[in-house]
Amino acid sequence: MTSATTVRPAGGGAARAPRRAGSRPARHLRRYWQLWVMLAPAIAFVAVFAYVPMYGLQLAFREFDFAAGITGGDWVGLKYFQQFFDSPQFWTLLRNTVVISMSTLVAGFIAPITLALMVNQVLGRRRKKFLQTATYLPHFISIVVIVGMLHVFLSPSSGLITRLVGLFGVDGANFLGSASAFVPVYVISDVWQHAGWNSIIYLAALASVDTQLYEAAKIDGAGRFSIIRHIDVPALVPTMIVLLILNMGNVLNTGFEKIFLMQNPLNLGVSEVIATYVYKIGILSNQFSYATAIGLFNTLINFAFLMVANQIAKRVSNTSLW
Amino acid sequence: MTHTTERRGTAALAGIASAALLLSACGGGGEDDNALHILVVKHALTGPMADMAWVDELEDAAGIPIEWEEVSADWDQKKSTMLAAGDIPDLIIGTNAITDADMVTFTGLFEDLGDDMDSLPNVQAMFDALPETELMATRPDGEVFSVPSYRRFWPQTATRQYVNQQWLDNLGLEQPTTWDELHEVLLAFKNEDANGNGDPDDEIPVDWSPAGEGGFGYFQPTVFLGSLGLPTTNGGGSGYFVENGEVGNFLTDPRYMELVSFLHELYADGLVSQDVMTQDYSAYQSVGRGDGDVAKVGFSWGWTASDRFGPQLADQYAPIAPLAADASMSADDLAWTYDSYSLNYGLNTITMSAQSEKKDAALKVIDAFYDQDLSLQALWGDFGENIEELGNNAYTVLPPADETLDSSSWKWTTTLADNSPGWIRDDIEVTLPTDIQEAVEDEAPLTDALANIDPASDIWPGELVKMSAEDSSSLALLHTDILGQAMQRWATWITEGGVESEWDDYVSQLEGLGLTEAVEIHQRYYDEYLASQG
Repeated sequence: MTSATTVRPAGGGAARAPRRAGSRPARHLRRYWQLWVMLAPAIAFVAVFAYVPMYGLQLAFREFDFAAGITGGDWVGLKYFQQFFDSPQFWTLLRNTVVISMSTLVAGFIAPITLALMVNQVLGRRRKKFLQTATYLPHFISIVVIVGMLHVFLSPSSGLITRLVGLFGVDGANFLGSASAFVPVYVISDVWQHAGWNSIIYLAALASVDTQLYEAAKIDGAGRFSIIRHIDVPALVPTMIVLLILNMGNVLNTGFEKIFLMQNPLNLGVSEVIATYVYKIGILSNQFSYATAIGLFNTLINFAFLMVANQIAKRVSNTSLW
Repeated sequence: MTHTTERRGTAALAGIASAALLLSACGGGGEDDNALHILVVKHALTGPMADMAWVDELEDAAGIPIEWEEVSADWDQKKSTMLAAGDIPDLIIGTNAITDADMVTFTGLFEDLGDDMDSLPNVQAMFDALPETELMATRPDGEVFSVPSYRRFWPQTATRQYVNQQWLDNLGLEQPTTWDELHEVLLAFKNEDANGNGDPDDEIPVDWSPAGEGGFGYFQPTVFLGSLGLPTTNGGGSGYFVENGEVGNFLTDPRYMELVSFLHELYADGLVSQDVMTQDYSAYQSVGRGDGDVAKVGFSWGWTASDRFGPQLADQYAPIAPLAADASMSADDLAWTYDSYSLNYGLNTITMSAQSEKKDAALKVIDAFYDQDLSLQALWGDFGENIEELGNNAYTVLPPADETLDSSSWKWTTTLADNSPGWIRDDIEVTLPTDIQEAVEDEAPLTDALANIDPASDIWPGELVKMSAEDSSSLALLHTDILGQAMQRWATWITEGGVESEWDDYVSQLEGLGLTEAVEIHQRYYDEYLASQG
């Protein structure tokens, strides 16, 4: 996301190239070649790792045949897409995926903003730094460890939190094995882990607010909440929108590792998502064409969400990615 | 035993790892081109190949140096990218390192050994002596891409049933013989201070190995289907069984409903470990080992008492016979899980690349593995250090030279053990190591029930049946959907109940997911198998 925002001025600069007669590309290159040289590694990187592998997408429309290679299998058109849409699992997978990713999106969007606004109110540099560090540290814990911690906290027989709620009369709570607890556990632990890290960008935006505005507001008699509402929040809106649009592009990309590790037969009804299903079908059962088709479908939906979100943002608030 | 449940943690990384590996797989180089390249999939404990003296005999047989690539972890991830890139070493060794599904998907990658049998006299002799090994090796179209191993001395089942005899004695109870008696015993375990440590609430009356979303396995209560007269294989697997020549799937069998209903009664009374559906294999194992001298688990299943409960507590546990579902059941009807095909045989242990430029050397190495002496050494370790030759085809497997290790860990540390190709002859005499002895001894109470199972007609012979590419791929899809649904119901029904009221809906749901079709495919292959047996 940072690369997208930093690349933008370069693209904008190129677009503002002066119009003169003659061969425009040649003139453009002569004038801006240093910029292009600096961009070259990034362009090569994107080309090699994002565009070149796309030729493999045709596997979704072909029968995988090892002997004939990726591009050599029989053309079967939309057979594998049809198979996925007709699968009895289709609606369950789609529903689970959307529920998990939407909850994460919403909670994961609001929490860092709230946190940033609160941290910004803390007086004293040292206390502020401490709070910030304490909240973003969990971001660096590996997912396997996080899920291990969840097991320690939530185990129905010996879990720390299970025992704690037991003191308040809730007996036999099984947060790991209950279908209704899966999404909350997933989302809350995700917010806990990432809210601090994600709030850094908002704190940066808040730091750029002109302090004269605060002084003027105080003189006018504004309280703490009025200042947040009328100065801090409006200052954050452009950042919020850009981040929201970028997140929309991942709407069906749930965190594979964490969901897979948290899965057990008791919560499978709500925890089987497209990513884990693709892994089970594609990697474990060697159904490469089918898995590619499902993956491509997933990407197309994400792409559509990104486009729509961007269009809406453009109309409503004049902020957009392009 | 094999550590089946490690897959969860490691598999999680597969997605990312495979993507990254695809790109790096093109590299390589820096290898000795005159050497024979062998990839070997080892147990995590197993030391370097260079430390095994018998490996020299392989080099002598090959006539050229051997370069080993040793894989101790994450083989599944490495494999899919290696095969997809088409760049494989001359030989790949390890039990089921290359699976039937791989042979179907990656056509043309593996050498058909069927037309090289003249260069493989030992393998041919094994096929002649043990026709089932030839069945295990032969694809539907007649090719032989991989050769199985035969270990002969392993017990017939992996799952033995244990009750804590000391707890029974403390409470003045008898060993249970029926489900009802078990229920009574477990209630006593729960309500009293069975382990005598002063805390009446720290006993877990019954615990079993976690069943994943992919079906059933060893050490799970599916063995209770035998209490209803239904024999299973490999702990249940995807549920296929054979009765009177008909293939069925117990997931929709009324006896399965009865079992689930019984397990729910136990769970509802608080007799089953609260963590049974969510814990992983290592947690399950460590709970079984209790706390010092204090046992925590009253009734469970395992490979041997010392493997399941640890050497310190093993003496507290007694192996017991299969339980009858009710007292009216005759002992002749009781069954168990029959696992000999997966314990005594190793599927697809050695596979050769079709592009190998050192075909002769590779064939010689394959054949050498099936030599009488080398088979023993690859399984239990070097002559002298690990095995004593007594002459006249008699051998003794020696106790561990390192006294801190048990004989099972010792075997895995010093040699390829169960991952190795080989053929232990039926006409030799071997004094077995203590781990196999214990497994065989603890199997004694199960002997009658196992004798009730005729492997030729009472079980689904999954290891002997090879399916076509089309059928194996449609079954893979069907099973992902069917088992995902079925295992979820299994877990929910046991913890929350409802199996009786939801049963009919569930059966039609599984049929809607293609269970009928899957059973028909199995039936077709079973009929062919019977016909080929004559």
